[in-house]
Amino acid sequence: MALLIDSVSKRFGDVQALDAISLQIEPGEVFGFLGANGAGKTTAMRIVLDILRPDSGTITWNGKPNTDLPRETWGYLPEERGLYAKMTVLEQLVFFAKLHGVKPKAAERETRDWLERFRIPEYADRRAEQLSKGNQQKIQFIAAILHDPLVLLMDEPFTGLDPVNAALLKEAFQEMKERGKTLVFSTHQMETVEELCESIAILDRGRVVVGGSVREVRRSTGRQMVRVAVQGDPEIAWLGTLDGVRVTRRGQDYVEAEVAPGHDPGSVLRAALSRGCEIRHFEMADPSLEQIFIERVGQIDMSERTLAPKGAHA
Amino acid sequence: MKGWRTLFPNAWYVALREYRSRTRTRSFVLGTVLLALIAFAATQLPVLVDFSMSTSQTRLAIVSQVSDMPDSSGLLDHQLNPEGRKSYLIAWQPDGGLPTAEADLRARRYDILVVIEPDGPQDLKFTIRTDSPQDGRAVQTVETGLYTVAIQYRLAKAGSSIAAIEKAPAVSVVPVNGSASSTNNLTREVSADLLSTGLIVLIFMAIVTYGVWVAMSVAEEKGSRVMELMLNATTPLQMLTGKMLGNGAAGLAQYGIILAAVVGGLLAQAPIHKAVVGSDAGTQFGGLSPTVLAAFVVLFVLGFTLYSLLYAALGSLVSRQEDVQSATSPLMVLIMLGYFMSVFGLQAIDETWVKVASFVPFFSPYLMLARVSAGHVEPWEFGLAVLLLFAAIVVALFVAARIYSAGVLLYGQRVSLAQVLRAARVSR
Repeated sequence: MALLIDSVSKRFGDVQALDAISLQIEPGEVFGFLGANGAGKTTAMRIVLDILRPDSGTITWNGKPNTDLPRETWGYLPEERGLYAKMTVLEQLVFFAKLHGVKPKAAERETRDWLERFRIPEYADRRAEQLSKGNQQKIQFIAAILHDPLVLLMDEPFTGLDPVNAALLKEAFQEMKERGKTLVFSTHQMETVEELCESIAILDRGRVVVGGSVREVRRSTGRQMVRVAVQGDPEIAWLGTLDGVRVTRRGQDYVEAEVAPGHDPGSVLRAALSRGCEIRHFEMADPSLEQIFIERVGQIDMSERTLAPKGAHA
Repeated sequence: MKGWRTLFPNAWYVALREYRSRTRTRSFVLGTVLLALIAFAATQLPVLVDFSMSTSQTRLAIVSQVSDMPDSSGLLDHQLNPEGRKSYLIAWQPDGGLPTAEADLRARRYDILVVIEPDGPQDLKFTIRTDSPQDGRAVQTVETGLYTVAIQYRLAKAGSSIAAIEKAPAVSVVPVNGSASSTNNLTREVSADLLSTGLIVLIFMAIVTYGVWVAMSVAEEKGSRVMELMLNATTPLQMLTGKMLGNGAAGLAQYGIILAAVVGGLLAQAPIHKAVVGSDAGTQFGGLSPTVLAAFVVLFVLGFTLYSLLYAALGSLVSRQEDVQSATSPLMVLIMLGYFMSVFGLQAIDETWVKVASFVPFFSPYLMLARVSAGHVEPWEFGLAVLLLFAAIVVALFVAARIYSAGVLLYGQRVSLAQVLRAARVSR
């Protein structure tokens, strides 16, 4: 009972877009796909949706191969956003729902309900070209869920949304989760992942470099982070001299250090107290996903990494 | 194949959307209205010509000062007002009416005054008095009419008449080898050629104009990226079929309206002529038999289907509407080739190459139609061509769906066909 991606490989010309990736996504969970541009996230989603066929490997949902599943199983929010510019919002949402076998009356009711939720009920009869980008994105989200899919696959759903709309979308995620849907989305925004996801996978050049529950992933290094601030000593020079402790960042508010596996982060606190320091801030934490991502993947490459030759994006 | 089972209703929904969004555009509405008006107006041109001739009526007074003048009124009327027109109002004045007629001419109650006088014992001479230009049409026509009057007079003097002169002589045609050929006479052949050329042009125009619509609509969808939403909702086969049906129907609707305007215009020609000009004029539908019409409809629909599938496939290679023209240019060559083959084929309808080519699906819409309208086709030949055309459509549907499903995901300036074919091998 899960979405199983089993040893899926896909090659475009000279580029290995996916290299035998395997993932297990549990029903009802929110799953985050992390990776630089060109890591293979979109290709993986398109293969799950059966828009692309893998060179090898299988996809199953609750034991059934994806090629045998009705398209209504999936809801898809593509990375490249687009609507029919000349059609009204209501018209095209009903059109998309009809293609998935939803009755027009029911589709219209659902549409109006969701427009209400997204606080744009007055846009029902506007043409798509008259809407702002953020609002178009909300319309596309509605298009992805109107037919009540079991699994929602969303490619960079938060890109280009202002904070207010991002919050509305997060609420919608919560709503879908409460309805028992499985949500899979890709993003660059690590905070969003930490806030929303139960499990993640980090993809790099078509491979899963790390995967599992967010907690497991953050603990996977065995290292711990400490953040310390001491009155009158912004540098805390002695911190780096402690055994197994390495300063990673000297910020304005605190100094961040990493405690190697097998060492007790509490020793930092004790060392500070024994030096008679007046401690203003002390925090122990697992490494953030961002740190793990940078560690595993290197830089988060925001620039375009061309996957397939001659402009074929994946 | 999974695609066939699930082709409908989604293909139908797509078709409906395409049809609506196409027919709602201002360019479609304006274009249809304008073309229909032009088509209707074109059919009324003969009426217009007759009308302009009938409104400018020339008033003609004739004074004869010849004592033995035969009655020429009927003859002159027939000469000046052919086909029942009323271009000339002819008033024969009584003997001694010259002063009155001259006064009327000066008062512009007449445009032309003709005085007939004897020219020796055997002939007539005419004086035309008018302010109309000497080399104008009215004067020239009157001169020609008077020439006939003179001939009639000379014949009467010689003891004969026009009727006697014009009586048809006995002529008999004797075949050399004893059996006369009774097939197509020249005029029938020429009108059949004209008709089939007209029908071929109709097919050609429809494919070129409305096929591009299909390609445009694919490129537009790809360009606006709505394609990706569509891909999860439908299969490429459903999209392709829907686009073809929707745009095809919109195109045929426009075509139908224009053709209706033409047919309506032709039918209305006679009543309008009667109302405006005041006389009858025959409308001509040359040689359009039900057989030819049926063949035209079948070949039109199948040919259009085949070509619009290919247009859709090629349209999927580009993501901007501006690139559609260049992407579809190979297809244009193929269409032109078929068109020219049929134009030349009409002159050599019984040649072997025409017969062979009329079975090739890309050319049969033109060439088989040409052969049918020339009346040189066995029923089985037509059936075979239609069957082959149908088979080609099925093959094209799958090939196009392949290219389409690969093409729609490839974005970039311009995708080469080789790239798409490579992608098509691995896509679903």
